[in-house]
Amino acid sequence: MTSAGHQPGNQNARLAWLFALPALLGLLVFVLLPFVLSVILSFTNLRLGSPLPLEFMGFSQYQRIFTDQAFLAALRNNALFALIVVPLQTGLALLLALLVNQPLRGMVLFRSLFFMPVVFPLSLVAVVWILVFAPGPQGLLNQVLETITLGSWQARDFLHDPAWALPAISLTSIWQGVGFQMVILLAALQGIAHELYEAAKVDGANRWQQFVCITLPQLRNAIIFVVLVTTILAFRLFDQVQIMTQGGPNHATTTVMYEAVNSAFGSQQVARAAAMTVVFFTIVLLITLLQRAVSRHERVIE
Amino acid sequence: MWLRKLPILVLSGLLGIFPLLGGCDRQSEADLMVLHVWAHAGQEAERRVLQAQLERYNQQSDKIQLKLTFIPERDYNAQVQAAALAGDLPDVLEFDGPYLYNYIWQRHLMPLEDVLPRALLDDLLPSIVAQGSYGQHLYSVGVYDSGLGLYARKGALQKIGARIPASAADAWSIDEFNQVLRQLAARDDDQAVLDIKLNYSGEWYTYGFSPLLQSAGADLIERERYQASDGTINSPAAVSAIQQLQTWIRLGYVDPNLDDAAFTSGRVALSWVGHWEYERYRNVHKEDLLVLPLPDFGQGSRTGQGSWNWGISRHSRNSRAAAQFIEFLMQADEVLVMCDANGAVPGTKSAVQQSALYGRQGPLALFARQLMQGVSVPRPKTPAYPVITTEFQKAFQQIRSGGDAKQALDVAAQKIDQDIRDNQGYPFLQ
Amino acid sequence: MNDKQRIRMLSVYLVLTALAFMFLVPVAMMLFGSFKPDDQVLLQAGRLGSLLPAEFSWFNYQDVFARVPFARYLFNSAFISFCIVAGGLLVNSLAAYAFARLQWPGRDWVLLVVVALMIIPLEAIAVPLFYEVTLLGWRDTYWVQIIPFIANAFSIYLFYSFFLSLPRELEEAARIDGAGPWRIFFRIVAPNAKPVFATVAILSFLTQWGALLWPLMVTHSEAVRPLPLGIATFYSLPPLQWGDIFAFGVMMVTPVLLIFVLFQRWFVQGVATTGVKG
Repeated sequence: MTSAGHQPGNQNARLAWLFALPALLGLLVFVLLPFVLSVILSFTNLRLGSPLPLEFMGFSQYQRIFTDQAFLAALRNNALFALIVVPLQTGLALLLALLVNQPLRGMVLFRSLFFMPVVFPLSLVAVVWILVFAPGPQGLLNQVLETITLGSWQARDFLHDPAWALPAISLTSIWQGVGFQMVILLAALQGIAHELYEAAKVDGANRWQQFVCITLPQLRNAIIFVVLVTTILAFRLFDQVQIMTQGGPNHATTTVMYEAVNSAFGSQQVARAAAMTVVFFTIVLLITLLQRAVSRHERVIE
Repeated sequence: MWLRKLPILVLSGLLGIFPLLGGCDRQSEADLMVLHVWAHAGQEAERRVLQAQLERYNQQSDKIQLKLTFIPERDYNAQVQAAALAGDLPDVLEFDGPYLYNYIWQRHLMPLEDVLPRALLDDLLPSIVAQGSYGQHLYSVGVYDSGLGLYARKGALQKIGARIPASAADAWSIDEFNQVLRQLAARDDDQAVLDIKLNYSGEWYTYGFSPLLQSAGADLIERERYQASDGTINSPAAVSAIQQLQTWIRLGYVDPNLDDAAFTSGRVALSWVGHWEYERYRNVHKEDLLVLPLPDFGQGSRTGQGSWNWGISRHSRNSRAAAQFIEFLMQADEVLVMCDANGAVPGTKSAVQQSALYGRQGPLALFARQLMQGVSVPRPKTPAYPVITTEFQKAFQQIRSGGDAKQALDVAAQKIDQDIRDNQGYPFLQ
Repeated sequence: MNDKQRIRMLSVYLVLTALAFMFLVPVAMMLFGSFKPDDQVLLQAGRLGSLLPAEFSWFNYQDVFARVPFARYLFNSAFISFCIVAGGLLVNSLAAYAFARLQWPGRDWVLLVVVALMIIPLEAIAVPLFYEVTLLGWRDTYWVQIIPFIANAFSIYLFYSFFLSLPRELEEAARIDGAGPWRIFFRIVAPNAKPVFATVAILSFLTQWGALLWPLMVTHSEAVRPLPLGIATFYSLPPLQWGDIFAFGVMMVTPVLLIFVLFQRWFVQGVATTGVKG
């Protein structure tokens, strides 16, 4: 693809390196290097600030975390959270995008409203939602649910109830994140050529058929992108857990990142936290590769 | 293996490089010394007092200038730890109660007995001395200490004809306490008659409820050599004491207190909390307010202690000046000014005597007596404290939600002991 | 418009309003709560009817300014975020262009590594990174909060996806005219890539604006502290000072909200052409 003989190959390569060098250098020094260090540390017993000599411990950190109830619960919770949030958030985002895409007045206002939570820092969102989930009949959510169910709702302490804590956090995350996905899907929606719909109408397709046969396939790439990013972010869940539930009750909401940060800064066990993040990275990498493989496979079939 | 040398390399690198780079002018001119002071950003009143004290001290001397930085309380320990790791500690700084021992063990602090006057050392409350000592030395002193007890409404207790304990020795037994709860609940609309500050989180659980274990004859860790929690934190006595608490929650006696107004609004008659609530409670209940010792779970009423304390960094170049500043803060007048602001127990006996709240006839004299007579138990004096409190808090979270108490405490014991083993028992390498 | 269409339109509005309500309520709580005294915020947290304050009071806002140097924190956050965004736009777009349009040995492997790096969150590398910057002596400065975050794998990926989708004719024409890659990039590609620049700018800004863990570890003086650390001052002993926290929150979020409202159009358009063609 090189142009007609103007640039010899290695000059092109040198130029490319010049273009890419600052970013690659930054990534190398500030992301890759610390991560590699993390991997190395996961084989030791490094403790924050300990005057004791560092020791090599082989795989014992890994052994320990995989026999730790809290860590196993964290893995399970991360998976559950991703399974709940990714489809729900994507589905809701699609719904919102479809609604806001109507050629009606005031859509820009609605669009801004739905995107607004994205602008909030997660820590602030968590603090506000603590109030929303306030226990007792005076709690906001409890009140709303009581009104909707015409009085048959029992007031619950969502954040301290093992069954409701993770759904509560999921709701908070969905609230905060759906606006971003909506914008992506909306943009993709607006990129679909009208002629496709016209042609379908001429062929006699009803609204549902149009949706399934035109809209969804055209949105395919956008949806894949959104699902991929949301999955990665779902596994990084940390802020809300730290502020709202501190991993409880009974490990119902602890996550891998939460366990890792607490190990490092709460219990000062850096090496253990390093092992957790290595496991985290591996899992997410596998899932990401899997998702890409599946999506590529489907594309081939089409 | 080079990896073994890594921390040492890092540390020597820091100590070598840092004075050259970095931003603090620690190298003092011959005529003006700058002393860096870190304090936690506590209540408004506390900060104002400390600020004023610093200004007064600065005016006194034209050789020393104090530079104060306030660090947000919630993240205080994390920031101090980060600074300690970087070899970047200020000359004088506060420590949050039992988190002190970690820094002592990491050799960041210098002993104080040689730089503080004997008179001051003798004047300190026994609890302050207990908190600040580690190994053979005293590493910190606290301007104030904390008091923990049971606030009650006299009228409510009189209505059920309950005995009113006069001192810690006289405290309600656990049976009496349960009976009081039962009787109060019978007269109460929503059954909730006790507030144990469940809306608090974090360190409160350890501070507020380890006395429960201690009163039952158990503890967070064995105190002989601080090597193991197993058999102590999860002993039958500990489990049954904690189960008492669970029972109170289960029977509905405990108010969730989300609005932090259970006691002030009169919803409950009892509030298990520390000295910091006294002023607010007094404003509402006035003469009806009682201050009682915590109930006796079998081995005598016990209570908590410990609060912020001041220490001097081992690497400070101005340790003499730093010591003089601490001496200044510990003068009875200065102690009382601070304690007026935050309502805490003064840290010296002479200040206690002069205190309206904590002196002999004062309404909170009980708290001062508890600290002076050994009713209070310091939280475990070990570098493992961060792990101990983290694990206990996790266990408590489960316990308060109705989980299996023995299992939760067993897990805590196991984690704590493993940490101690990992650190070879935290040998104190001087 | 016939009846069926009218019903459809009404139902769309109905659903949208109901959903918008759900999105608004927590925000409203925060906004109105910032005008109430602390104890009222908690007491009325539940009742929808008492969302509005009985009396509007600016007290909380005044208190925030009295207790912390809010203006300084605001400046710090703005400065740091600006530097990261500006630096990032330059550095990451250049690298993405190299991946998308230039040939060089090892390109595909390096790209793979960069994509993998997208997964690593800051929390995972915070401690080793901390040791690194301490060795470099960067603690408690602006630079330690800026430099590690300029190069960003996610931004590179977004730029890369976009550049791939650009039609090559423009660049080809320029090349035939004798323009080198630098000229092509700055004169041709970048001006046609405004949407992706806007998208990356907004995304990285949002990420950095709320960053807490890193500044917590590496700074302590108020001179360089950013907003999220500032709000932590109000999280001290319970009861939490909700009024102050909300006032702080409102002030922290409003600038960003305004920027988004102003640049909405670009953002949506930018998003349309990134990541979607991946």
